Amino acid sequence: MTKPKLLLVDDEEEFVDTLAERLHLRGFQVLTATDGEGALRLIEKELPQVVVLDVMMPGLGGLEVLQQIKTRTPRIPVILLTGHGSTADGIEGMRLGAYDYLVKPINIDELIKKMLEAVST
Amino acid sequence: MKASEEKKVAFFGKITAGITHEMKNVLAIIKESSGLMEDIMSLSPEALISYQEKFKNSLSKIKDQINRGVELTDRLNKFAHSSDETIAKIDLNEIVEQLIKLSQRFARLKNVVLKTDPRQRSDQPVIIETFPVQLQMALFACIDSCLNVIPSGSEIFIRSHKKGEKYAVHVACEGNISSQTDLARRILTSDQWPELEGIVAALGGSVELDSSGPGIWLFLSKE
Repeated sequence: MTKPKLLLVDDEEEFVDTLAERLHLRGFQVLTATDGEGALRLIEKELPQVVVLDVMMPGLGGLEVLQQIKTRTPRIPVILLTGHGSTADGIEGMRLGAYDYLVKPINIDELIKKMLEAVST
Repeated sequence: MKASEEKKVAFFGKITAGITHEMKNVLAIIKESSGLMEDIMSLSPEALISYQEKFKNSLSKIKDQINRGVELTDRLNKFAHSSDETIAKIDLNEIVEQLIKLSQRFARLKNVVLKTDPRQRSDQPVIIETFPVQLQMALFACIDSCLNVIPSGSEIFIRSHKKGEKYAVHVACEGNISSQTDLARRILTSDQWPELEGIVAALGGSVELDSSGPGIWLFLSKE
């Protein structure tokens, strides 16, 4: 199976850069953004096959970005990353159209599994 | 539970949630950095040499995040201990600095810079006897009131003053504010203003809008 092109979005630059390297080592083509507006510009330009998106970001928050993705490019699945202890953010995100969510700190193998499922749906 | 106790619990919950949320980011970076090191080691025996820089970078990130984590847990620990005594003698400058650190995440999420006013003299302690938890609630409510109306990219400066027998904290909003009058009005008419007045009254103090700033003056008595 061809590994999908993905976009990672998180305002924690160290997290995004390191996760991107790990996914790149596993054969994924990885784009990164550290804010919501930057993410939306990249999505329009590069059309990733899946977006991995942090919920809590300064400025345009993750759930607002999700809504814009679902309006402009509804076929791109979005997997949310949340630091929230409860499932509230994740459930709200799925109500707004997210494919699924993971709680930080994430397990990379679980992320990969969900991304591959999302693009094959 | 009494309304004031409910508010204290809500305040503790909000601050704890903010800090632990940030701790999750710290742990996430440590996990990915150590994971990358494992990935490199599993490539081949030679990979460690060709990826030496990446390996060093990961170690450096882990060290930085551990320092960040220690700082965050220190803050949370100090905050948790602020309820050890109902009434205590505290240094107002120190409490202001502590609240700024505790509020950083909330300010960052609104793209607002929150700092001590550079004119603040932290080498001169300002000792008052008061309710430490309620004082922190009042300061946080002032900051929150400003954060909810101030435009993105602005700054909030905080400074303690001595005015006669009273002590005051000034929370000043600065930046790309198109209408100071409008911002001041929005602070005054927000849902939080009556709550702020209530918290400060319970401290034996008073709160006033500074329409020239705009900002908020929090007046406290020495005892």
